[in-house]
Amino acid sequence: MSMLSTFTPSFALLRSRWLGCPLALMLTSTWALAQDKRWGPGEPASDYGYRFGELFWLITTLVSVAFALVVVLLIVPMLRDRARPGHRASFDHGKSLHDKRLTAVISIITFIVLDAWVLVIAMKDLREAYWAIPAAKDPQTYKVEVLAQQWAWSFRAAGVDGEFGTPDDILTTNELVVPKDRPVSFNLTSKDVIHSLFLPEMRMKKDLNPGAINLAWFKPVVEGEFSILCAELCGFAHYQMFGKLRVLEQGQFNEWEAEASQLASTAFDADDTEGHWAWDWQE
Amino acid sequence: MNTTGVIELHGDGPVNQAPPETGRDRVNATLGMILFIGSWTMAFGTLFLSFLVLRDKIAVWPPAGIALPSAPIAGLATLVLAASSVFVERGSRSLSLDAGSGRKASFSALWITGMLLGLGFALLQAWLWYDLILAGRTQTSGLYESLFFGLTWVHAAHVVVGLFLLVWALVGSKLGRYGPERRSFVSNAALFWHFVGIVWLFLFLGFFVF
Amino acid sequence: MSSDHIHPEPTTFLRKHVFSIDHKVIAKQFLWFGLIWLGIGGIMAMMLRWQLANPGVPVPLIGGLLFPRTGGVIDPATYNTLFTMHGTIMIFLGLTPAMIGALGNWCIPLMIGARDMIFPTLNMLSFWAMFLGGAVGFYSLFVPLGATEVGWTGYPTLSTTVGAVGQGETLWAIAVFLIGASSIMGGINYITTVIRLRCPGMTWMRMPLTVWGLFLTSILNVLFIPVIGSAMIILVLDRVFGTSFYVPASIMSGGTGGDPILYQHLFWIFGHPEVYILILPAWGVVCDLLSFFARKPAFGYRTSVGAMVVVTVLSALVYGHHMFTTGLSAMLGESFMLLTMIISVPAEILFFNWLHTLWKGSLRLTTPMLFAMGVIFVFGLGGLTGIYCATIGTDIFLHDTYFIVGHFHLTMAASALFGTFGAIYFWFPKMFGRMMSERLGKLHFWLSFFPLVLVFCIMFISGYAGMPRRYYDHTSAEYLRPLQHLNVATTVSAFLLGVAQFIFVFNFIKSRWWGKTAPQNPWDVGTVDWTIATPVPHYNFKTIPVVRCGPHEFSNPVLGPDTDWIYQTEELPG
Repeated sequence: MSMLSTFTPSFALLRSRWLGCPLALMLTSTWALAQDKRWGPGEPASDYGYRFGELFWLITTLVSVAFALVVVLLIVPMLRDRARPGHRASFDHGKSLHDKRLTAVISIITFIVLDAWVLVIAMKDLREAYWAIPAAKDPQTYKVEVLAQQWAWSFRAAGVDGEFGTPDDILTTNELVVPKDRPVSFNLTSKDVIHSLFLPEMRMKKDLNPGAINLAWFKPVVEGEFSILCAELCGFAHYQMFGKLRVLEQGQFNEWEAEASQLASTAFDADDTEGHWAWDWQE
Repeated sequence: MNTTGVIELHGDGPVNQAPPETGRDRVNATLGMILFIGSWTMAFGTLFLSFLVLRDKIAVWPPAGIALPSAPIAGLATLVLAASSVFVERGSRSLSLDAGSGRKASFSALWITGMLLGLGFALLQAWLWYDLILAGRTQTSGLYESLFFGLTWVHAAHVVVGLFLLVWALVGSKLGRYGPERRSFVSNAALFWHFVGIVWLFLFLGFFVF
Repeated sequence: MSSDHIHPEPTTFLRKHVFSIDHKVIAKQFLWFGLIWLGIGGIMAMMLRWQLANPGVPVPLIGGLLFPRTGGVIDPATYNTLFTMHGTIMIFLGLTPAMIGALGNWCIPLMIGARDMIFPTLNMLSFWAMFLGGAVGFYSLFVPLGATEVGWTGYPTLSTTVGAVGQGETLWAIAVFLIGASSIMGGINYITTVIRLRCPGMTWMRMPLTVWGLFLTSILNVLFIPVIGSAMIILVLDRVFGTSFYVPASIMSGGTGGDPILYQHLFWIFGHPEVYILILPAWGVVCDLLSFFARKPAFGYRTSVGAMVVVTVLSALVYGHHMFTTGLSAMLGESFMLLTMIISVPAEILFFNWLHTLWKGSLRLTTPMLFAMGVIFVFGLGGLTGIYCATIGTDIFLHDTYFIVGHFHLTMAASALFGTFGAIYFWFPKMFGRMMSERLGKLHFWLSFFPLVLVFCIMFISGYAGMPRRYYDHTSAEYLRPLQHLNVATTVSAFLLGVAQFIFVFNFIKSRWWGKTAPQNPWDVGTVDWTIATPVPHYNFKTIPVVRCGPHEFSNPVLGPDTDWIYQTEELPG
C-alpha cells in the first residue's frame, strides 16, 4: 500500500471499498503480472522479418512528422486566433486559384511522401519476400502441412522419405519443429472454422480456411523456441490455441527427424483413418 | 412547388379525402421507387454474385450426374410472368389516359388478368420445387440445390409481396382511393412487379440457359 | 401527398409521441434510442476491459447480477458475446440511430427549408424497424444456448452451425437485417428529400455540408446495406435451412459445398462503405461547425464536397484491405493496397480544408467547437495509422491485433462519436428549447479527450508488440504475458473515459428539463434552421424560405463592422 501512496492523488479514495479495490487491484496487477515488460514484438527471427520493423518505423517517422504538423496547425489557431472583442476572422472561401493550387500541391506531396514511398517499399517486400513462396521441388524447402481445428494445431511433415501420406509422416500437435536456415513452406487448411497461423517472431501470418488450401512460408534464421498463436476468432478457446515453434540447427534437426520418422513408422496404425489426414502438396 | 410560400391547408379537419396528386408528387414517388428498386437490385445482385462465384468454383456445371429441375416448366413460368407484366403495365397505363368509366373498367380487367397470370407463375414455381422434393432433393442436398432453392425462395418472397401490392392496388382502386387522379401507388406497384419479373429472367438464364 | 400540405397537428398521444410522422419527433426518438444503446455498448466495453486487465476476477458492482452462474466472472463464451454485441450495438444501434437517424431527421428538412421529410410515414416505419431490430437483438441475449459469440463480422464457418449452434446467431442476423431495412428506408427518404424539397434558392452549392454528408451517407446506405442484407439472408438459409452457400465440401457430408470466403467478400463490400456511412455525416458536421465557430467560411466548400463525393464513389473498391491474410491473389491484394492509398487522398484534402478553415479565423471555443476540433485530432491520428493497415507488408503482422482495434476506434468510434456529440451540443437548443451547460460540456470534452486518445494509442503499442484481438485472456500464452501492463493501462484509461460520459448523461438530462431557456439563435449561425422560433412549430416554416446566399458567409467584409454573419435568407449587401 505504501508504494501506491507515493503516486496516487487521493489515497482516501483508493481505500473506499467501491472504488478502491478495483483500482488498487488494477494498479498492483501491472507489477504482478508483467515481469519482463515488453513494448514491441521482440527481435525478428526469420530472414524477411526485418522488413516489418523497417517499414513500420519508416511509416512511424513519416506519420509522426505529419501529425506533429497537424497538432501545430490546431494549437496555433487555438492560441493566436481566439475570438476577442474587435477581432475579426479573415474572410476566405478558399475558392481562389492560389488556394486550389495550394490544395493540389499539398495533396500531391502528402500522397508521395506518405503513400507512394511506402507503397513502393511494400511492393518490393511483397515481391521479394511475402509472395515469394519457395518452390516445392527445391530439396532445401521444408514442407509442412497444417491442419487447424478447434482448438489445436496439427502439423504434418513428410518425414525422412519426403513423401506425404506415408507411414513415416511426422505428426505433431501444437508443436512445430523446423530446421534453421531453410525455407519452411506451408499448406494451410482447417477442419472446421477459420483460424489464422500467427508466428509473431517470424513475422508471418496466414489464414487457414476450411475447404481450401492457403500457402505461406518463412525462413527461420535464429535457433530457439518461438510462439505460435491463433489470429482469427475461432470460438471460445481461441485465446488458448497456442503452440511452440522449435527451430533446430540442421544437424540436430536431422537427428530429430530421423527419430520422429522412426517412431511414426512403428506407431503407424492403418485403421486410424482420422489421423491420416494428408493431401497432395499444393503449389 | 408553391413558390409564393403560402400555407395551404386542404379540407376542413382530418384529411379523409386525399387531394389529387400533382405531377410533382408523381415525380417524388417515382424517384423514391427508383431508389428502392436500386436497393433491391443491389440485394439481388449480391445473390447473383454469390451464385456466379460459387458456380465458378465447380469445374463442371451443373455438377455431373445431376438431374435438373424441369426446363420446360421453368420456360413456361418465364413466359407466364412476362405476360403478367405486360398486362399489369397496360393496366397501370390505362389510368393515365383520360378518366372515364370505360377506362376504369379496362384497368380492372387488365390488372386482374395480370394478377392471375402472376398467380399462375407462383403455381408453376411451386411445381418446380415439388418435382425436386419428390425426387428426394432438398436444399440440404448440395451446392446446386442450395443455390436453386435459396435464390428461388428469396425471389418467391418478393413475388408474394408483389402480388400483395397488386391486390392492394386493385382494392384501392375499387374503393376510389386510387384512380387516374392518384395513380402513383399503382404505377409503383407495377414497377415492382416488373422488377420481380426481371429478377426471374436472370434466374432463368442462370439456372436453365447458361 | 403534396409538400405544401401542412399535416394537421396530431392530437392523440400515440400519434404525437409514439407513431408520429413528424421528422422532429422521429429525430428525438432516434436520439434517445441511440444514446441508450451507446450506453449499453459502452458498459459492455468496460466489462471487456475489466476482464482483460483482471483475468478471471469477478466484475465489480454488476458482475453478480449479470453473470450469476459464474459468480460474476466473465467466462470465455460470454466474453466473446460481449465483444460481438459491443461492436454490433455501437455500430448499428448506437451510432446509426444517433447520428444518421437523429441528425438526418432533424437537420435535413430544417436546413433545406422543407416542412418535413418527403415520405413521412416511411420515416416513422424506419424508426420502428430499427426499434424492432434492437428488440430482436436484445432478445437474442437471453436465448438458451447463448447469444452470438462470433464477432460482429460473423465469419463463417464459425457463424454457421459448424461453429455456432442455437438461435443466438440467427437472431443476430435477423436483427442486423431489420436494422438494415430501417437504414434503407431512411436513405431513400433522405435522398429524395434533399433532391426534391430544397427551398427556392437553396442550390446544391448552398447546402450546409452537414446535409451533404448525410446525403452521401444515404446513397451508400441505399446501395450497400442490401449487400449485407443478402449476406445475412444467405447466412440464415445456411443456419436454419441447411443450405451450403458458406459451408465448404470438406465439412458437408456428401455433395458439393460452398465457400466461406464468399461471405468475407460480401461482408466487406458492405463493410467498408459502412465505415464511410458512419463517418460522412460527422465529416459534414465538422466542416460546418468549424466554419460556424471560427467565424470563417468553410475553406474550399466545393473541394470538400468533391472530396466527400470521391470517397463515396471509391468506398466499395477498397474493401479487400480487410482480407490481406485471407489468401487473396497477389494481384488482388496489391490492387486493394493501391486503391486504399488512393482513397486517402480525398480524405486528406478534406482534412486540410478543416485546418485551413481554422487558420486565421476568430475561434469561439464553445463545446461544439471543441468536439469538432477533437475530431480533427482523433481522425488525423486514426487516418494516419491507416497507412500501416493499408500496407500489406505491415498489415500481415498487424492484422487481427490491437493495432487494428486502435485504428478503427479512432477513425470510426472516436471521430464519429465526437462528431455526434458536437452535433448534439450544437442542435440541443433548437431541439429542446434549452441550453446545455457549457461548463459541463467542456468538462465532458476534456475528460473524454485525453483518456480516449490514451486508450487507443496504447492499443497501437499492444498491436505492434503482437497482441492479438478477441482474446479472452492474454496471460495464457507465454508470448503475451509480458504485455499485460499494456492491458492494465488501457483499462484504466478506458474506465476514465467511461466515467466522463456520465457528465454528458447528467448534462443532457438535466438540461433537457431544467436547462436555461434557449434564445432563437444562440450561436449566431445563418443556416435556415436557425431562422425559426424555438420550439419549432410542427410545420417548421410558416412561409417556405427563399435562400439568397450560402451557409458560411461569416466575416464577409460587405457585412460591415457590426456583424460577422447573415442568415441564408438574407441578401448579401452590396
